[in-house]
Amino acid sequence: MTCDLNLNEDQRQILGAASVMLEASYPVARRRQRRPDDLAELAAFGAFGLALPQDGGEAGYSVVEEALLHVLLGRHVVSTGALAASLAARLAANTGRSDLADGIVAGTTGVCAAIAAKDSALLVERGEASFALLFDGRELALLDMDGIDARPVESLGHGIPLQRIASGEAREIARSADDELADTADLLISAQLLGVAEAARDLTVAYANMRQQFGQPIGGFQAIKHHCANMAVGAEMASAQLDMAAIALRDRRADASFQVAALRHLAEKAAIFNTRTAVQVHGGIGFSAEADVHHYLKQAHLLSRLGAGAGLLAMPAPLAPHEALIRGE
Amino acid sequence: MRLSLTEADEEFRATAREWLLANAPKDRAPPDGQASRDYALAWLARCHRDGWSGISWPTEYGGRGLSQERLLIWYEEYVRARAPSVLDCTFVALNHAGPTVFACGTEEQKAFHLPRILGGKVIWCQGFSEPGAGSDLAALSTSAVVDGDHLVVNGQKIWSSFADVADYQELLVRTLPGSKRHQGLSWVICDMKSKGITVRPIENMAGVTHFAEVFYDNVRIPLSNVVGGLHEGWKTAMTTFGFERKTAAIGLQLELSVKIEDLIALAEPLPGSATAVRLGELRAEVAGLRSMTYRALLREPANASDGSLVRLSFGELAQRVYRAAMDILGPDALLNGSWTHDYLESYSETIAGGTAEIQRNIIAERILGMPRIK
Repeated sequence: MTCDLNLNEDQRQILGAASVMLEASYPVARRRQRRPDDLAELAAFGAFGLALPQDGGEAGYSVVEEALLHVLLGRHVVSTGALAASLAARLAANTGRSDLADGIVAGTTGVCAAIAAKDSALLVERGEASFALLFDGRELALLDMDGIDARPVESLGHGIPLQRIASGEAREIARSADDELADTADLLISAQLLGVAEAARDLTVAYANMRQQFGQPIGGFQAIKHHCANMAVGAEMASAQLDMAAIALRDRRADASFQVAALRHLAEKAAIFNTRTAVQVHGGIGFSAEADVHHYLKQAHLLSRLGAGAGLLAMPAPLAPHEALIRGE
Repeated sequence: MRLSLTEADEEFRATAREWLLANAPKDRAPPDGQASRDYALAWLARCHRDGWSGISWPTEYGGRGLSQERLLIWYEEYVRARAPSVLDCTFVALNHAGPTVFACGTEEQKAFHLPRILGGKVIWCQGFSEPGAGSDLAALSTSAVVDGDHLVVNGQKIWSSFADVADYQELLVRTLPGSKRHQGLSWVICDMKSKGITVRPIENMAGVTHFAEVFYDNVRIPLSNVVGGLHEGWKTAMTTFGFERKTAAIGLQLELSVKIEDLIALAEPLPGSATAVRLGELRAEVAGLRSMTYRALLREPANASDGSLVRLSFGELAQRVYRAAMDILGPDALLNGSWTHDYLESYSETIAGGTAEIQRNIIAERILGMPRIK
């Protein structure tokens, strides 16, 4: 077959290895400590340079494998710093700062994500990061955080450390309005949103199958089952679209930007819906900060605020890959 | 993971497009009755004459034996050309009965029925649901008692689309007297011209009379018409549902890609308006559905029930697209019968072939592993 949507052996291997690493170093329960994630293990795994050319040669993997890896990061509610590092390494490399790119990939130079807001930027899990990657609409900018004293922001119930700086307070050393980089950012953000949606679904199903009320697991009640089925449907649609969009972007197909924009909408919708539903199905414990459900909900909201997907009516939608369009031919 | 078509695939696409452009009927298909039969069979026969029926069916029974990629390409070009809806009176034969006979039938059954189906010679209808067995299909009670080398059928079926113009019916009956639920059923080929059959058509809310009740009064069916073994009918029916929830709906799912583009073009929403947002989101979901269709065909299923995810997504999305058309086009939707017709017909999408609620139960129990309803 010339078309095949199964994972190949290479893909199974790297995703399997990533799962083992994430289970060992990034169990979701670590989030209870409310500290910025330490991304050293991910850097050691090679997560931030997965699809970048290595030592002047070819990249080991493509955005397809990178996107699938980011689904796993989403499942483990890994800091948005991992996204920021993967994209900042590209931005640095694209703008001729190969030393900086190397440092980011190696994990010796930390990057955190920054959300552009009116008159300010919100830094997510800054920790010791010396740079911030600002998601500014469809553009990405690299900010030098050296000597910047950011103010803590109390929101999201302190679950994830947030700080703010004024717009222009940090020196901008690079900016990109490149469509391919914007699409890559949306692809990886969406992949993490999908991971969050899948994890929320799985967590909720496991809880519903275990929690007993009225003398039986609540998962036996249709009201609960149908919530879970809805979570499965949204995640499945976003997951199928992730494959389509990642392949389109890797192969530089004409419909890549549209496929990514569609993915971003589906992934945001699934992540927000699934995490909200997860709180509801968990009941009282879901509303508590002692269970892990709220971490997924908050991560879904943070990821949704990184940048902005392209307009869904701005591009022609294709009917078939490689194909002329339904309209305008 | 790859979605790359060969030059030969592209040639196939170009040939299909050219043929459809020259041959696809431009007039609207009659929705019911003898006219719908004549129209659909003439169109299928024309497809068959030029080698465009049974794209993925095996060649020994009149198909083309082509790959899943070619099947996708064919349907993409089919909906692009706005060829007659795949959900016409040939649907059950091409997408249910035919594939089931191929998967579970005897050599004689295959050799007799499959070429007739592909050649556009016969119409099939379904005979599964009963007044007392809708969502709970295993509660069916239409009996078929073995009498020599025949079955003698008594009972009633309902929601049997195009039964009034069908030649054959895929009929699910209780062959083991006293058997319960999934046991003791058989999937049999019923000749609709048999003595003792009465068909009463039922008009639906879209004003179309394609479905019907069917009554059986001592109808004799040869035992050789049993498909998949006597008393093994549930297994055969599950095979039928497998096709229904996987490959049968490819054409319908892809058709929605054309409908949403038509709607966007007609609506001409102002950029940034609520209408633009709504249409943009629907467009994204239709793209997602198309990706699910690709996945269903081009990836090994993790689970035999995966088709329920596609089926449920399609049904609810189709309804939302047509509801959007009614809301956004306003009086124009009422003036243009086609949007109103599609809107009204779309109510069946979350009822037929297993209601949305049943699909959710299947997803929860068989995909997510939640406790079964007792």
